[in-house]
Amino acid sequence: MSNSHDNHGHGSHGEGHGHYIIPDATIYKTLGALLVLTGITVGLSFVHLGTWNFVVGMLVAAMKAYLVASIFMNLSHDDKSNSVIFVSGFFFLAIFIGLTAPDFLFRGDIFTEGKQIMLPVKGVSQFKRPWEPTPEIVAHGKAIFMQQCVSCHGPEGKGDGPAAAALVPHPRNFTSADGWGNGRKPSQIFKTLKEGRPGTGMASFATIPAEDRWTLAHYVASLGPNVLKDTPEDLKAAGVDTSKDTLGDTEAPSIPITAAMKILDAETAKDGLKGNIKPGHDDLEGYGERVEARTFNPNL
Amino acid sequence: MSHASVPAGKYNADNPAPHHFGHHFESAEHEFSSAKQGMWLFMVTEVLMIGAIFVGYLLFRLRFPEAFHEAHKELNVKLGALNTVILIISSATMVLGVTAAQRGNNRRSIGMLITTIFLGGCFCLVKYFEYTHKFHEGIFPGGLYHFEGLTVPHAPLFFSFYFVMTGIHAFHVVVGMCLITWIITRIKRGQISKEFFTPVELVGFYWHFVDLVWIFLFPLLYLLG
Repeated sequence: MSNSHDNHGHGSHGEGHGHYIIPDATIYKTLGALLVLTGITVGLSFVHLGTWNFVVGMLVAAMKAYLVASIFMNLSHDDKSNSVIFVSGFFFLAIFIGLTAPDFLFRGDIFTEGKQIMLPVKGVSQFKRPWEPTPEIVAHGKAIFMQQCVSCHGPEGKGDGPAAAALVPHPRNFTSADGWGNGRKPSQIFKTLKEGRPGTGMASFATIPAEDRWTLAHYVASLGPNVLKDTPEDLKAAGVDTSKDTLGDTEAPSIPITAAMKILDAETAKDGLKGNIKPGHDDLEGYGERVEARTFNPNL
Repeated sequence: MSHASVPAGKYNADNPAPHHFGHHFESAEHEFSSAKQGMWLFMVTEVLMIGAIFVGYLLFRLRFPEAFHEAHKELNVKLGALNTVILIISSATMVLGVTAAQRGNNRRSIGMLITTIFLGGCFCLVKYFEYTHKFHEGIFPGGLYHFEGLTVPHAPLFFSFYFVMTGIHAFHVVVGMCLITWIITRIKRGQISKEFFTPVELVGFYWHFVDLVWIFLFPLLYLLG
């Protein structure tokens, strides 16, 4: 933008001297286009396109923003560097969203499976004969798994949840047949859920009602390389009366999770991990507050 | 700035003072393009400030889609659309004011700028009615929320975003109206001419930017539940 014939201290960037002045007609046309686009945005909001509502709505807004920036703010006739500056702002904003969203959305213990994880899990199971796996029972077990287990065992049960790195031994990989202390049958997994595994990070989940614990056991069993089934003897050993439809009162009463947390906290402190477990903020119906694994300090 | 040296009373909108560019610039053109580049850099900081709140809004909306969907129905689409139209028209009157100043037509420029302030005032008035209606119902941001018509968990979070985002935006509108008032007085004092209209154009940018933010706020908050 050199201006060699401009001297004597008098600026002159009037008409015909390099400065583009937007014609009135262009202004009115742009105004019309913006109003039409606004109408389209409002109209579209009454048409249900699902996710596309959002995408189309934002695209229309981006078109309007382009019109305002390029014509009203005169970027189309301005020095290119100003366009670069302005667009760079949105570039960095995109980086901001691009890095924050995956972190926020894929923290396994918050929600991994979209809406499914947000379903409230009832405190009392609606299932009869929960020791016999059905697709509904496995699905219910999965819902609990996504809330209670993913922080350590990972969204796919591979033992790679966000808190896994802090735990020694590492959480069980359910997709492998190796290393199962109590065995891989649902009744054996049920036992682990009830009692926990002393000396490991696996706490007792006895606070989850027994029916729901069975659904969870079936889901965990279903993740394995081959799904093992319980024999009538296995079920009997697990205290199930298969002649009835429900579990009855065979289960010991559950302890409040706050008490369980104190025990777990003391155990982890004993194991050389700093006991810094805090209750989570999300209430789960029937379970009280849950332990959020990500409050473990991964550096310890 | 050199305009400070202009004697009072000698110049006015019809008879503006000659402009002397700053001694640290090579030319008036250089002065103008530097000022403009500074304005664009400032607007990048604005993009990032408002962008941070947008990111927060988007993430919480993804996390609590039902709550945000139910809560957004409480907003009045008609008033939101009205305000969108008001701001878009005000952007057009702003450009008309800027181009009039660029052509040296200061009288027309003042008229357009006053219209722009008026439209900005209309926007604030509509916003005032929206806010007071919400307050009346008990819809406040965060923990102050006590609206009984909508008790979905996390609905107050939506309104926290609503009030912060539209509040920051409305603050920008008010600042913009003050800046336009300031350039009107400069035009009247004869400090703006077709040789020197930098403040008018830069305030124009600011006003368009405020419009641009609303272009995104309106669909995000009012329409796309």
